[in-house]
Amino acid sequence: MNHPTDISQYRGEKTASVSASAEFNRPLLLTPGEDLRGYLVGHGGRIFLFLMTCISVLSVLLIFIFVIREALPFLREQGLRDSITSRNWYPERAEGAGAEFGMLALFAGSMYVTLASLILSVPIGLSAAVFLSDIAPFWLRQVSKPIIEILAAIPSVAYGFFAILVLAPYMQKYWNFDTGANALNASLILSLMALPTIISVAEDSLSAVGREIREASYGLGATRCETMLKVVMPTAHSGIIAAVILGMMRAIGETMVVWMASGNANQIPTPWWDISQSVRTMTATIAGEMGETSQNSVHWHALFMIGVFLLIFTFGLNMISEYFLARVKKSGGK
Amino acid sequence: MKNTRREIQDRSFTFFSSLSIVLMVGALVIILGPMLRRGFSAVFFQGTVEFRRMQLAQFGHGDEEAVADEVAQVTELRQEIYAILNKFQAGIEPSALIDRVRSINREYGQELRGKNIVGADYTELRRRARDLRDLLQDALESTDRELVEANLKSVLQHRADPLYTDSVMAEMFVTARQYQNVIQGIDLSHREQYLEPLLEVKDQLRKLLGPMPGEQAPLLMEEYGATRWDIALETLHDLLWQEQWVTVEAGQELQKQLVRREESQFAGTSLAPMFGLAEDHLTDLLRPKRTIYWHYFTDDWKEGHFFGGVGPEIYGTLLITLLTMLFAIPFGVISAAFLVECASEHISVKIIRICVNTLAGVPSIVFGLFGMAFFVLFILPNLDRKPQGCILTAAMTLAVLVLPVIIRASEEAIRSVPATYREASLALGAGKFRTFMTVTLPAALPGILTGIILSLSRAAGETAPILFTGAVDMGPVPRSLFEGSRTLATSGYYIAVGDKIGMMAPHKQYGLITTLIVLVLGLNILAILLRSRMSRKLRGQ
Amino acid sequence: MTKLSTPAASSHLFDFKGTIESKSKTVTTPNPEQTDICECSVVSAKDFSFYYGKTTGVKNISMEIFPCRVTAIIGPSGCGKSTFLRSINRMNDLIPATRATGILEVNGQNIYDKRTNLVNLRQQVGMVFQKPNPFAKSIFDNVAYGPRLQGIRNRTKLEGLVEECLKSSALWDEVKDNLDKSALALSGGQQQRLCIARALATNPRVLLMDEPCSALDPLATARIEDLIEQLKTQYTIIIVTHNMQQAARVSEHAAFFCLGELIEYDLTPKLFTNPSHKQTEDYITGRFG
Repeated sequence: MNHPTDISQYRGEKTASVSASAEFNRPLLLTPGEDLRGYLVGHGGRIFLFLMTCISVLSVLLIFIFVIREALPFLREQGLRDSITSRNWYPERAEGAGAEFGMLALFAGSMYVTLASLILSVPIGLSAAVFLSDIAPFWLRQVSKPIIEILAAIPSVAYGFFAILVLAPYMQKYWNFDTGANALNASLILSLMALPTIISVAEDSLSAVGREIREASYGLGATRCETMLKVVMPTAHSGIIAAVILGMMRAIGETMVVWMASGNANQIPTPWWDISQSVRTMTATIAGEMGETSQNSVHWHALFMIGVFLLIFTFGLNMISEYFLARVKKSGGK
Repeated sequence: MKNTRREIQDRSFTFFSSLSIVLMVGALVIILGPMLRRGFSAVFFQGTVEFRRMQLAQFGHGDEEAVADEVAQVTELRQEIYAILNKFQAGIEPSALIDRVRSINREYGQELRGKNIVGADYTELRRRARDLRDLLQDALESTDRELVEANLKSVLQHRADPLYTDSVMAEMFVTARQYQNVIQGIDLSHREQYLEPLLEVKDQLRKLLGPMPGEQAPLLMEEYGATRWDIALETLHDLLWQEQWVTVEAGQELQKQLVRREESQFAGTSLAPMFGLAEDHLTDLLRPKRTIYWHYFTDDWKEGHFFGGVGPEIYGTLLITLLTMLFAIPFGVISAAFLVECASEHISVKIIRICVNTLAGVPSIVFGLFGMAFFVLFILPNLDRKPQGCILTAAMTLAVLVLPVIIRASEEAIRSVPATYREASLALGAGKFRTFMTVTLPAALPGILTGIILSLSRAAGETAPILFTGAVDMGPVPRSLFEGSRTLATSGYYIAVGDKIGMMAPHKQYGLITTLIVLVLGLNILAILLRSRMSRKLRGQ
Repeated sequence: MTKLSTPAASSHLFDFKGTIESKSKTVTTPNPEQTDICECSVVSAKDFSFYYGKTTGVKNISMEIFPCRVTAIIGPSGCGKSTFLRSINRMNDLIPATRATGILEVNGQNIYDKRTNLVNLRQQVGMVFQKPNPFAKSIFDNVAYGPRLQGIRNRTKLEGLVEECLKSSALWDEVKDNLDKSALALSGGQQQRLCIARALATNPRVLLMDEPCSALDPLATARIEDLIEQLKTQYTIIIVTHNMQQAARVSEHAAFFCLGELIEYDLTPKLFTNPSHKQTEDYITGRFG
């Protein structure tokens, strides 16, 4: 047995003798100075990281504080009841009944285009999720994912561009609509924008169901349709609900597309199913009127009030979707 | 049979699921296709000599000599057309001719005095000239063909008179002769009816070839003719064809019909050949050449996007986006590191996670409200600056918007580094910080980079948050961070809804939005490629 | 041949007095050259227990590990082998909510003392993991990682060190042409040898090996076992293994753990052929586990 070379000769330190007197040439105990320094650096570093991370908390707090702060004067002056129940939005009217801030039509407008877009995007999105998780061969899945990401990445102003310059004239010419900028236009585009969100979250939760459950169902002789509809999707229902809610959040929060494409008419469509009429959403109102409103006027504060409603609503939706996503994780999903 | 029903159900289920992907791809193509196609034509098109002239004069691009040469050649050809036009115009709107005739008469008087002809001779010659002038003037003014022709004939009788050979009066005869030719094909009694169509034609010609020699253009737009070949063809069409409402069937609505001007408005006139001339020689008149307008990305626009490019918009977008990243990346990556490495199940960490998720869900316009309320109206005054939107506030607003994206992507990337990496490093005696910096972070870097690129593309495309916190509609290229700036996204919005001039140059509208789309999609594709390279690298290839 | 004796009956603990007395006698080891080995124990557990929250990892372990030997720790799944091994270089610290009682000494120093210099500890007690985990760096950077931590920056010194370690782990001939190749491109067996080289580069005294061959095929396993045979002349090796035959092949001492307790600790030949405790016998003969 040849003696192995002593590699400690490269250290330039006092070499321990080769054979193994199990000598440890470095102390295993910290000196008090080292100990203290280690403690300070470790804890100091952790505190620094913690503070940096708190920037997100700080941001959320600031958002709520400052938006609510600018909305409070409206609450004080106008109160809440009229805003929620009336649909007369005449913020700059000077004569007659004076300025009115009824936001009902705005709420209705937002909900209208959102729900209409969900009617289109949820079935298509879930079908696409089913396709991607179960039916598509590997190469097709690899190709589809970038396509979906591209769909999600197109800026909203580009969608709005298309909506008003291409889709609106088309609608007016071929479908005989009064105006091309209406709720249908906005809903179509919004559904396209919500699709990627719905597809990716739903597909994740469908894949997380795992092969075992599917195999059990196929083993009992079920077809693919039955397996998906009766076994897999119910198992993944938390994730699917979360996907729909997230898609809904995307549609509600969208500004540019609805501003350009929905027509911005402050009305609730009559009859309610006539989707070819123009509507106005909360987001479009804020974006459209903010530039022309003088600071610190009631109108200004009213717009912030709309912002507060938006904030609360999306926060609520967020919490609900978080609840469902947590249920997915708990059931051993992702 | 129940089984067949189940089978049909199954097949249709599969079919509809597959259909959804096809629908999506179809939607993508429908949306991007036309916009990109029209947008590309802002850079790749056939440019005419007018374009090159405009580029040289307004932006200083191009070879002066070459352009001057071309202009000279083209002007020669155009002279023919202008000549026909002017002659015709003279024929139906003789006021200029009349003025000229009167001044010829005056000049003749001066000429006589200059030759020292005085006394009875002078009066006599003056009288004869005056008679000719009156005859001619009546001819020019009258609409009675017989009278006109008779007067012209009597004027022209004196043409060969040696008295007038070397004098200015010769011009009078030339004028009379030309006028005779012109009125050949005109219905004199309806002279006025040619006036308006002539103005239309002149307008179209101006749009096609630029202002006529000697004319001034009040607007910059009108200083140049058709700069693009496709616009030229359209203008030519308007020049040659006229829209008419005709009754096709009795009792039915009037229908629009196109008729050639030379057959309808100017039939039989001396102007008619001009149309054919313009149509046949358009290529020579405008010299279209395939152009790649690279300076589209650096030039500013003039006259509301009618000319020029989107340089300042690109500059503004890039500036704001990069600044956003500068703010957001440190906070984002460090937060992600904390959440993965140091976080315990403490309540504060739960609160942080809730806040990150909340941030991700806030609508973009509310970010705009926040940015305005906080950055513009609160922070800026505290820094002794005017509370108005600027690049800095826009970037900070976008940074808050983009923060959760970076945190999520980085967290996922850091978390996906296998625990054994950390264990191996720690087992070799490295401390936690060193382990993170030398082992975990490099391994997570591709994922973090992907997240950064994706949030960069997101920030470049966002419009609502910066509408009131820093983006402006028009303005000079910003010199400091405390000024507002134009951006691709916001200008895209403005040009789509408000800009009348923009409407006249749709290729420019689409060009703007195409630039934005290409930028954003380019970044995304980069991220996708990076991600696939990363997964290959981690598999050891 | 002097046996490392255990006192009879109920106590499963190793009798220290017996050890100290036997220190003066010559302990026969497979390598007759090393007769002047100091018999101070390298690792010494005295009533050491380790808890993950409420669950017990190991309970009341008392044993001594001697230098320049291979000590194998065997036992069924979940018996605390890895727990004990990872306690020796304090890797269990990575898991939250853990608690240790008793004394675990390395080189006479209780390493669960609050003032332990973890960096030095881990550099001198190296570890090789179950699944090879080279960093996503080049082969050279992997091996040089440890020395760089210790402050060695000189390129020539590093190159020499890397060469030595790779030779010691029998990988040099296969990779010497391209040390800049990514470590992830190596085969499983090569990666494990790389990890061993990497662990050797910090000049440890003890090598902890947590089932190092369980992810490798028989050929690679054989090479690693040969390697262990060579390394034990210089290092103290503690190896945890599922594979009883492997334990019988490579180790001189063997410890049998079951359900968190040390059942028997003896010379390998004796433990495998004539165990003192029934549980050991049952395990070795395959009646459970």
